[in-house]
Amino acid sequence: MSEVIVITSGKGGVGKTTTTANIGTGLALLGFRTVLIDTDIGLRNLDVVMGLENRIIYNLVDVVEGNCRMKQALIKDKRYPNLYLLPSAQTRDKTAVNPGQMRKLTDDLKEDFDYILLDCPAGIEQGFQNAIAGADRALVVTTPEVSAIRDADRIIGLLEAADMRDVDLVVNRIRMDMVRRGDMMSIDDVADILAVNIIGAVPDDEDIVVSTNQGEPLVDTDSLAGQAFLNICKRISGEVVPLLDMNPQRGLLLRLSDFLKRA
Amino acid sequence: MRRMFCFHKSNSGEIARSRLKLVLVSDQSGCSPGLIDGIREEMIRILSRHVEIDSKRIDIRLAQMEYAGAKEPIPILSAKVPFRRLTNMRNE
Repeated sequence: MSEVIVITSGKGGVGKTTTTANIGTGLALLGFRTVLIDTDIGLRNLDVVMGLENRIIYNLVDVVEGNCRMKQALIKDKRYPNLYLLPSAQTRDKTAVNPGQMRKLTDDLKEDFDYILLDCPAGIEQGFQNAIAGADRALVVTTPEVSAIRDADRIIGLLEAADMRDVDLVVNRIRMDMVRRGDMMSIDDVADILAVNIIGAVPDDEDIVVSTNQGEPLVDTDSLAGQAFLNICKRISGEVVPLLDMNPQRGLLLRLSDFLKRA
Repeated sequence: MRRMFCFHKSNSGEIARSRLKLVLVSDQSGCSPGLIDGIREEMIRILSRHVEIDSKRIDIRLAQMEYAGAKEPIPILSAKVPFRRLTNMRNE
């Protein structure tokens, strides 16, 4: 049984591509045959986040237009035996592909893969419509900010209107220190406002920047964000995993000041 | 105690929460802030025919209300209209 999952958000810059790269790599690590599709035509980025930018020959638009066979366009990630990338085209725009073609593309890939992940462009126009066309379920990425959550709410509405079977939320870039002192909405606040299932929360972690710099997903490292992403992968595959404890080990002095603040 | 150890007021998370709730209500009901302004003007005009109201302190906003029988809270219009005098009110 294979599943097509679209990773979307509405607002740009909340971590869709990073989330796609890490969840895709994580699913491959768990032993699932996984392909990542960058559907952001004209602004491709998943290739650099994955560190595969130097191996692109053909792209999504080439496959759709029949300039090459699917197998020629898929880039095999040599670090993970089950992982493939179908890059986007950089010199075309969103009108180069339509929802019907995307549905056919994902249907074809279902024969060879357990998970097909679609990295959706920001916005709600044709790029979004293309990305969700063939998807069975959606992961909506947001951050604990008013603008990102507002857009997530809009996207959830659009996904429901499009009869998306499952819609889950990933809350990205949580800073527990700020939540603790009341300067950031908590995971519970977000869950309360958006009324969708939260499939995972990812801490704001410097290691993400480092891993993106290097083009190496951090899901197989022991960083906090890496663990959070791996937990999301396990939940996607049906495992029940409790939410990660994101409170790092804190010194006695900090804990004492926390205690006094609460008193 | 709190004052001594907290050097600045920390409740911007709560501010974000309440702003977000309001903005979502207005998004979901497809009702722009301009519509509320229109309603306010009309209400002032109509109410002024009957009573003297303090038009500067009128508080009209969209809110949400739990409603018996409804699964989710429904958007409501909340209006607080302070009267100055009730002399113009008709006797029943």
